[in-house]
Amino acid sequence: MMKRQAYLGIDIGSISTKGVIIDEKNKILASAYIWTEGDPIGASKKLLHLLEEQFDKEHYQITAAGTTGSARKLVGTMIGAGTVKNEITAHAVGTTSLHPDVRTILEIGGQDSKIILVENGVAVDYAMNTLCAAGTGAFLSSQSKRLGIDVEDFGEIALHSQRPARIAARCTVFAESDLVHKIQMGYAKEDIVAGLCQAVAENYLNNVGKGKKILSPVVFQGGVSKNAGVVSAMKKALGCDILVDENGHLMGALGIAILAGRSGSIQEFDFSAEHAAFQTREVNCGRCPNNCEIICVYRDGKLIDSWGNRCEKGALRAEK
Amino acid sequence: MGKHTEVQSHRACTIGLPNGLLYAHYQVLWNSFFAGVGLQTRNSGPTNREILELGNECSIDETCLSAKLYLGHVRSLLGTCDYILVPRINSWGRQRDMCTRFASLYDLVCNTFRDSGQKFLSCNIDAGKKLTEESAFVQMGEELGFSKKIAENAYHQAKKEDENQWKLRLRKEEALYREKGIKVMIAAHSYIIEDDYYGKPIADYLRSLGLIPIRADITDRKEALKQSLKVSPTLKWEWNREIIGSLQMHREQIDGIVLVSAFPCGPDSMTDEIVSRHFAPLPVLRLVLDTQTGTAGIETRLESFADILSFQKKGGLAQ
Repeated sequence: MMKRQAYLGIDIGSISTKGVIIDEKNKILASAYIWTEGDPIGASKKLLHLLEEQFDKEHYQITAAGTTGSARKLVGTMIGAGTVKNEITAHAVGTTSLHPDVRTILEIGGQDSKIILVENGVAVDYAMNTLCAAGTGAFLSSQSKRLGIDVEDFGEIALHSQRPARIAARCTVFAESDLVHKIQMGYAKEDIVAGLCQAVAENYLNNVGKGKKILSPVVFQGGVSKNAGVVSAMKKALGCDILVDENGHLMGALGIAILAGRSGSIQEFDFSAEHAAFQTREVNCGRCPNNCEIICVYRDGKLIDSWGNRCEKGALRAEK
Repeated sequence: MGKHTEVQSHRACTIGLPNGLLYAHYQVLWNSFFAGVGLQTRNSGPTNREILELGNECSIDETCLSAKLYLGHVRSLLGTCDYILVPRINSWGRQRDMCTRFASLYDLVCNTFRDSGQKFLSCNIDAGKKLTEESAFVQMGEELGFSKKIAENAYHQAKKEDENQWKLRLRKEEALYREKGIKVMIAAHSYIIEDDYYGKPIADYLRSLGLIPIRADITDRKEALKQSLKVSPTLKWEWNREIIGSLQMHREQIDGIVLVSAFPCGPDSMTDEIVSRHFAPLPVLRLVLDTQTGTAGIETRLESFADILSFQKKGGLAQ
């Protein structure tokens, strides 16, 4: 019996790692969502295990794999992915496959945030936050710790507020001192929480969304879209409805799986990477004054890839 | 500003040229001028991490990356040459100003390295005080002990050489507009895009993605200044005007613009904003560089920008 084709997509972000396996019609056959916890290799192994459990190996064979997200290169090497692409393209492809009429994609992740403008199903413009991570998920989770609230409960608490406190959100450091000040002044917790959500939405629109024409339908994604308080603040600020897909967190993984499937190159994937031992090592090249930090990736003790060198002098070849 | 009255014995004298900021504009003129009067020059070489660290250590935090690199280049030349050339350029005329960084450069360098015993040579151009480029070069020559006549001749020779080489570079760059493929104009100051550590990898990476990067700063400068007035009649910074005018001249021939700044400084943050608005719907990517040595963030942004341009050209998303 001929097995049907399936494609694997993994999106390894700074905070969470997401994965899907889809069939040729982009239907999700298996999906998983776990914390990266500063260990992209370990998280990816765990993710592969979770996906393997849900995957129907009798009827399907994975013929293409792709990785995206900030650790795409590392994990791409580790699982031997044929497609390694940036998260902006992956998100645009994933989202438009589910919402073909979307015009604006808002995304706030753990460490970065972006806006993608779409016309006729094609991304036409995008912007990403610059160097600092103000107003992203990392900011919300550090503030929730300060307030002693689980970040998962943040949104619910915010919705109870009648009068959100004004919190300066341009810079995380300023926001934090503003927040402490408001706590000491005696503001109610829900007002502060709602204020933080509002600050995140405003900060996003003023920075990433600056000068961009936000047309509806608007889709909101990324970990922060799970926060009802930010969603409501965003709706208010934009004056239009916002769609939050329950699979919103999987869009990057879905997009890269679709791109891997379309890449045309067939490469059968087994789950062996799950059981192999991977190791990374950082070496300082030292062959010129740039002294590049070169990352070497080993599988079962064998060098499989390296990067980080700015010139040929630092090129290390994989062992065959 | 300090004036050097001491006359050096010409034959042994070497002039250090820090490879940053004005060097990208002036390398031909400077090198041929000094060769013309019979002096040797010494270049600080391409930017590398060591130079970045040297510059970082002697700069204040909140300053332009290019200025930090410049100090690194100066520092690496200390004690290796008789003079280090640190020009001061304030303005070329009405609405032809330079960023304040260039007006303060000489004083800043002299002050930063005041205990080094190094001698610095200035080249002071300031239209408001009737100090033209020619008078600045002549004065520089005289300071080094040459007669006015020798300095004048060397300047004219060097200027001719500079103009010839510029014409060649211009012709080569303009040929790129006629090539087939996705063309992206890089709008960045010459000292950024010519920097070996920060700027050049951006153009190289765009090329590796299959795009044709074209530099906005290599342009018919006179025409660019004229055209820039159509975009903004009041913009006053010479180099930003050249870049904006160059974009205006070529907007119909390109598919996108990549803006690269070393710092959200006054001139750049203003022109970046003008460019994003004025040239819409042409896709514009804004990059701000920093002292970070990782290139992943920049690559993510360039790669997705390249994807957008190529999908648009194909009329579909990764079909």
